[in-house]
Amino acid sequence: MSLPDRTGLSRREYLRAVVAVGGASALSACVAENGETDVPGGTDDPDSLPSRQHAWNDALSTDDDGNVQLPEHHVLLALSLVEDGAPTDEDRETVETSLRTLERAYEWSNEGLVFTIGYTPAYFDRVGSLATETVDLPEPTALTTREDPEPDDFDALLHLASDHAEVVLRAEEALFGDVADVNGVDVDADLSSIFERLDDQRRTGFVGPGLPADHTDTSGVPEEVPEDAPFFMGFRSGFRANQATEDRATITEGPFEGGTTQHVSSMDIQLETWFTQDSHRQRIAKMFSPEHVDEELVGEIGERLSTSSGVTDERIEATAEDARTRGVVGHAQKAARAREDGQPLLLRRDFNTVDGDRPGLHFLSLQREIEEFVRVREAMTGSDLAGNGVGGVLNNGILQYIFVNRRGNYLVPPRSLRALPPGDPA
Amino acid sequence: MNRRRFFHCAGSVAALAAAAGCIGSDGLGGDPDDADDETDDGIDDDRQVTPDLPEIEDPPDAVYVPTHREAMRMLEPIEAGEYTLAPMLSYPHPFWLVDGRETERVDPDGGPAVHLMFSLWDDETGIVLPVDAGAQIRVEQNGQQVGSPRTPWPMISQEMGFHFGDNVPLDGDGTYTVEVTLPPIGVRKTGALEDRFTETETATFEFTYDEDFRQEVIGGIDYLDEEHWGERGAIEPMEHGHGAHGDDEHGDHHGDGDDDHGDHDDHHGDGDDDHGDHDDHHGDGDDDHGDHDDHSDHGHVPYSSLPPAEDYSGTLLGEPETGDATLVISLLEGDTRLTDGTEPYLLVSPRTPYNRVPLADMALSATIDRDGEELATFDLEQTLDDEYDLHYGAETGLDDAELEPGDTVTITVESPPQVSRHRGYETAFLEMPAVEVEIPEEVSE
Ligand code: HEM
Repeated sequence: MSLPDRTGLSRREYLRAVVAVGGASALSACVAENGETDVPGGTDDPDSLPSRQHAWNDALSTDDDGNVQLPEHHVLLALSLVEDGAPTDEDRETVETSLRTLERAYEWSNEGLVFTIGYTPAYFDRVGSLATETVDLPEPTALTTREDPEPDDFDALLHLASDHAEVVLRAEEALFGDVADVNGVDVDADLSSIFERLDDQRRTGFVGPGLPADHTDTSGVPEEVPEDAPFFMGFRSGFRANQATEDRATITEGPFEGGTTQHVSSMDIQLETWFTQDSHRQRIAKMFSPEHVDEELVGEIGERLSTSSGVTDERIEATAEDARTRGVVGHAQKAARAREDGQPLLLRRDFNTVDGDRPGLHFLSLQREIEEFVRVREAMTGSDLAGNGVGGVLNNGILQYIFVNRRGNYLVPPRSLRALPPGDPA
Repeated sequence: MNRRRFFHCAGSVAALAAAAGCIGSDGLGGDPDDADDETDDGIDDDRQVTPDLPEIEDPPDAVYVPTHREAMRMLEPIEAGEYTLAPMLSYPHPFWLVDGRETERVDPDGGPAVHLMFSLWDDETGIVLPVDAGAQIRVEQNGQQVGSPRTPWPMISQEMGFHFGDNVPLDGDGTYTVEVTLPPIGVRKTGALEDRFTETETATFEFTYDEDFRQEVIGGIDYLDEEHWGERGAIEPMEHGHGAHGDDEHGDHHGDGDDDHGDHDDHHGDGDDDHGDHDDHHGDGDDDHGDHDDHSDHGHVPYSSLPPAEDYSGTLLGEPETGDATLVISLLEGDTRLTDGTEPYLLVSPRTPYNRVPLADMALSATIDRDGEELATFDLEQTLDDEYDLHYGAETGLDDAELEPGDTVTITVESPPQVSRHRGYETAFLEMPAVEVEIPEEVSE
């Protein structure tokens, strides 16, 4: 990919586009645009960092209501092992050193960098299967009748996230040995002898108030995307009360205790229908619940909600009845039917994308077991509701607007096992 | 709730001449900016992508005769697994989404676009499949995807009956490829349909969007005699295969709107006679187009017409109307293949008046009372059957009790059909009060 033409783009749009391109030229374009950003440095003491790779919440900033705020820029690097066969201890050391370089270079925060590395079922097939009953890592499959997803069948996925475009770009360069130092820290080891990046699988994205509306030049992104919306579909998401806690998403026993499972699905979003055909009332009913419309709970983009989506036990319980008596059900109310003991099962860290020059979402969620994801996704699909007041997709939450292209399942091991874990770490 | 994103040329015939003046340089009026945007897309500025259709003020809260028959280009039907799909293309035009009991008008935005439709039927039985399983369409031009994928709306129209459709924006003149993905149909299926429609199928077709196309579909609009506009009634189902009215005499209606209305009605042979019998439709809606019931004629695009009431077996409990829909209510006694048990099956088949188009995506429930006391109340499930087609049904749930003459059956419309509407259907089937029928003396076995 070549660098975007600077003319006609806002600063933010340009930086987003540069992140999408990646590589040395992107990094210099970013620095030229912004100047060198003053980014807080990391730590030389690895023990000061959490033992869970996915322990981001305490390190991330919060919004005015106290909800965790994901970093603005995201990159997902698809990695394929260079050598056949099981990795050696030396390989492990190289990977660990390389990842530690990033931790020394950048503060573990929005301002700095947070990241995880997860491994696919294909990886474990290669290095020796997961020999533990405490983790089940199935191959990704189609989860609805409306999709035929490509599986993520490479080996590993690195998720890099920062508020600064320059940081995600430079971190990637450092990991692959394309820069000599990173935020003042020498790069002594890199991943290039171990992993190959699959460029056609490089995924990027952004999340935060105002970012989606910057992309109305992209085909398929209508002018009507609200100015301050953090997500393409126009509403805030990720309220504290509607996310699994990190504890709830963490594996609690066995060799991978402290790890988590990750599901990543990449989808197109049909925003023209959503914004230029549906009314705001319909959008609220389809996203939250019909009662959210009656009670005017949401506002334009969810500004009336604070730390909860307002999907109460009563509104969850009313889902089937809403289908019958209102002819519509909301996505959030439907998905919440899968809560256990009143607790959400998924910790969602999804972000918007314009990869492929069209609007989409990289849906990334963490949960203790992939099977929990599958259950929530079934609740969201709501095939039990189809024919009972709503259609298979018509008025059945937001199904009509999303088109899944890929799915991937990952084990995100605890930090101590993050470098090329064996299938049976005794 | 009617959101109008663009100025509409309010209409009567007298206003049509003035309406011509309301067509902006981009053919839409009201938004000169659009004209600038469009200058380099290969379409000349005078092109008209959307006709300026007259509006009927204050239509009745019932099915009504629109101002015109829509013109469209019919493409060759395509086979896809168990299905055949017939694509149809027209100019982008308003339609109405249903939001509970209200409608939400959708207007085209004036850019290059088509109203893309397809009807879908089962090869084996010829039944048009009036259920939303979430079909998807992807449009490409020269191998490049145009816009995001979309799931077209399930819709009803007087001419096309049940179909899937949407206004689909294009990148200007050119040849487009459309890929349609048809997922399995998930609703309850019975009879010969029971184990059918379980695979995903795809179908691909091409079309060319150009000045010829626009002239054909916009010029082909067949305005009805104004005296019928907004009258209760419906235009007849289109004669498939003769759908595209390419007649040139319609091409100039914008310029001299006044004259071209007096003499239109019988150009197509079906213009007049679909009006003569409007007023008594409620009485005899069954036999005015017997030829559309012939589902199995494969050379033809079938129309989604439900069987007339007398064709349902069991005891016809009544054909009450609500919200201008007719509910054919039948009780199938004893050992019907539609139930597992021995209890009678209550079958409710809601349809539009006149054309008997099935009304999908409703929620219905039934209550049985005897001497003012409730015996049972239960939900009816949307079901697709090879003999009864789309209906809502359930066992009566009386356990050991038997239905007796004089018992009443109340059908409650919990939510009206959520399918989108073409003009003439958007004011009907929204407020639908409960209806009551009685168990007659003689229950036929
Ligand atoms: C374009 C795609 C999507 C959008 C725009 C979207 C948006 C939202 C919004 C606005 C909420 C309510 C606010 C909140 O609770 O944070 C929500 C809740 C939720 N969504 Fe999504 N979502 C999308 C896809 C998905 C997918 C693919 C899943 C996977 C199963 C999912 C699972 C959930 C869950 C579990 C909840 C919380 C339910 C609860 O409160 O227990 N969402 N989503």
